[in-house]
Amino acid sequence: MWRTRGVLWAVMVVALVLGLAAAVGSAGPAYTILLSMKGPGSGNPFWAAVERGARDTAKALGVNLVVLAPPAETDVQVQIAQIEDQIAKRVNAIVVAPTDVSALNSTFDKARARRIPVLFVDTDGTWPHKVTFIGTDNRAGGALGGKFLCERLRGRGEVAIITGVMTTQSIRARVEGARDTMRRCGLQIVAELPANSDRALGQQVMEDILTRSPNVKGVFAANDLMALGAAEAVKARGKTGRVLIVGFDAIPEAAQAILRGELAASVAQNPYNMGKFGVESAVKVLRGQSVPRRIDTGTTLVTKQNAARYAK
Amino acid sequence: MSTETLARPGGRTSLRERVQSLLTRLDLLLVVLLMMAVLTALQPQFFLTRENLTNIARQISSNAVLALGQFMVVATAGIDLSVGSVMGLCMTVLALLVKSGWPAVAALPAAVLLGAAVGAANGLALTRLHLPHPFIATLATLNVARGATYLLSGGVPISGLTPEVRWLGSADIPVLEGTPFATAFPVSFLVVLALYGVAAVFMGRTATGRHIYAVGGSPKAAQYAGIDVARLLVLVYVLCSALAGVAGVLLAGRVNSAYPTAGLGAELDSIAAVIIGGASFFGGRGTPGGVFLGAVIMGLVRNGLNLMNVSVFWQQVLIGLIILLAVYVDVLRRRAAEVER
Amino acid sequence: MTGDGTGLPLVEMEGITKRFGAVTALRSVDFSVQAGEVVGLVGDNGAGKSTLMKILTGVYRPDAGQIRFEGRRVHFQSPFDSRRLGIEMVYQDLGLAENLDPVANLFLGREISRRFGPWRLLDEAAMERHAREHLASLRVELPSLRTAVEQLSGGQRQAVAIARATAFAARLVIMDEPTASLAVAEAGKVLELIRRLKERGVGVVLISHRLQDVLEVSDRVVVLNRGRVAGVLEGRQARLEEVVALMVGGAG
Repeated sequence: MWRTRGVLWAVMVVALVLGLAAAVGSAGPAYTILLSMKGPGSGNPFWAAVERGARDTAKALGVNLVVLAPPAETDVQVQIAQIEDQIAKRVNAIVVAPTDVSALNSTFDKARARRIPVLFVDTDGTWPHKVTFIGTDNRAGGALGGKFLCERLRGRGEVAIITGVMTTQSIRARVEGARDTMRRCGLQIVAELPANSDRALGQQVMEDILTRSPNVKGVFAANDLMALGAAEAVKARGKTGRVLIVGFDAIPEAAQAILRGELAASVAQNPYNMGKFGVESAVKVLRGQSVPRRIDTGTTLVTKQNAARYAK
Repeated sequence: MSTETLARPGGRTSLRERVQSLLTRLDLLLVVLLMMAVLTALQPQFFLTRENLTNIARQISSNAVLALGQFMVVATAGIDLSVGSVMGLCMTVLALLVKSGWPAVAALPAAVLLGAAVGAANGLALTRLHLPHPFIATLATLNVARGATYLLSGGVPISGLTPEVRWLGSADIPVLEGTPFATAFPVSFLVVLALYGVAAVFMGRTATGRHIYAVGGSPKAAQYAGIDVARLLVLVYVLCSALAGVAGVLLAGRVNSAYPTAGLGAELDSIAAVIIGGASFFGGRGTPGGVFLGAVIMGLVRNGLNLMNVSVFWQQVLIGLIILLAVYVDVLRRRAAEVER
Repeated sequence: MTGDGTGLPLVEMEGITKRFGAVTALRSVDFSVQAGEVVGLVGDNGAGKSTLMKILTGVYRPDAGQIRFEGRRVHFQSPFDSRRLGIEMVYQDLGLAENLDPVANLFLGREISRRFGPWRLLDEAAMERHAREHLASLRVELPSLRTAVEQLSGGQRQAVAIARATAFAARLVIMDEPTASLAVAEAGKVLELIRRLKERGVGVVLISHRLQDVLEVSDRVVVLNRGRVAGVLEGRQARLEEVVALMVGGAG
């Protein structure tokens, strides 16, 4: 038994030392900025892009960057612990995509007590003392998608909107942007149905729409997963190409579908800019310069012309 | 622990035996001290500071409380998979009650009682419906509780709890004022220490505590001895889920928000702390003190690697390895006991 | 102090019949034990030995017949009733909690506690003292009272189980296959223990397939065959062949 406990200790020591080796060389006279993401970069191209933008910028500006994320986008406690531990290490600034809009507020209060500025990226939070929110203007993105349908349908015909979880602020904004734009250009919105940001539900909802409104010519879905589900339903009725489907996020699968003609378009966010502007703004604040309260990282319409760039 | 068959027959428990038994119980403590020494060496400016140590205390509080309840269930050779969901449910109900105007003195006990009620359901499902294994009963409760949490909260987090409600989970008490060791000690950790103290007396020094160990070691022996096994099992599951309610209260205080995904996966962490703490999955073994140290060890691993900016995935790998080793020690112990016969 | 006990009947079972559906497990069986007497109960598999003992310990209720304890008629509704009168059973699987030590096992369900304010805490010192005395009186030697039972040998475990059955003023102890899996030396120790119980005036029923052991220690041997009493032999005069003949003989 003693032998085994000894092995246990040895493993721990080795692992801790390995951890140290991985982290050696990070301390220096320059600023240290913490990027606390909602989810890990590995396995998620969105967060990987945020991280890349941040690292490239940190290197160019000569500041240290610590990137941490909880293993799942729902793990609030881990994110709190990570940020607390970095505050204890007196990190200079925090750039955060919070796992919950208000659960981290008391942690941010701690940062404020240590004069550590906090900047939000991707997901806005309710904390009143934030320096800025850097993220997608989802309304503008939705409007882009709506405008695409307006132009292609020349302001005439029936369209539908497939919404996601409407309690999520970003989804709501996209839908509003698309809805307003399409209404103003004269398209007739015959249905607005929720599909929970789920692919299978998107397919189901699209089938119902096609049944009730067989003349529908265009669909705006608040994210790509629902759009891809809707595309399946359209394909099953043999109407591919005659119903234009627009999604949101421009995930690689959607880009490939656009190239194949199953989707008409999608709206890409710019996660790389989130990381880039996040680090830039943090450094500006640390140097005493001012930073706008809201920075739009931009949206891009993705169609057959540029889908190849997003297809990997 | 395995070689005193040659001691004086029928004599007093020998000094050698006592020292060996003490060492066995202390080896976890030695591991903790070693870890702290290593971490201090690796991060001298940050690890052994008051701020960091109180951070660790705060960070492990709700898991430690969950693990205590889980330990009592595991001691009966059972398992409670629903503790994470119950914690989330109690948090949400607490927030809803506070929002509709309930004062802290009513809302806090109500949240804990809700946990106890779920525990009763678990225990009764096992003993009355004779579900084959607590894994199944508590898996069902896990889903019911999580679904209920989403339904009650509408899928959105509820924030803005009153300071009284948050006190247990977020307040600090100044200790050792006027001395160079003055610290703001987290109330949540005091709650943990108090609960573990009570549990240590309950499990180690009362007849009911002993009966819990007996039911875990040999349900038949307990039955022959006239112990009401069904009633005891229900009691244990009630205590476990009530403690999950307490963990929810502590977490709600800390984050000032009841979010519907709270506690997702927390049951696995509670089981890890129980296993690392030396309790056997076959039941009948382990102590609250050991489980406490198990929770501390997990907290130290996470904090240490956070301070070194190491990815959270390495932390998961390391904790997995520690669990493996802890279970292996249990297996070795069982084999040694069998060989002796 | 050997012999047939004090002459006072402890337990008398008369005309016991038990049916399970179409099967008649016991047919008008008479069985009695006196204080300080060792009665061996033997029979082939399915002869009805454990059914008879289950009726005596209150697990089953007889369809016909009566039971008298010290001359008084009794009805057992549950094992609690028989236990309260001092009838204890040592099961074949011993029913010990392997993870607890001998003292804890001895007092399982009957722990001694002391009040500490609103709490009732275990009085470990008192229980250990009583355990030590009791084991000494049975002349049982254990390597330690404070290590888990799982580390004891088979014979030592058996001793702990028997000690538990006799620690609380038992009047009658029923032992189901106590020497079945023991080596010769350890089996001998168990038989010694039985003799010690006899000396203290406790009645013993010994169920066993090891007929040599039964003959060595019993005052009387009752042989069951297919639910009936095939014969009752005096322990000292019985011979192995007689017993076996009664066990396997045709329906009597």
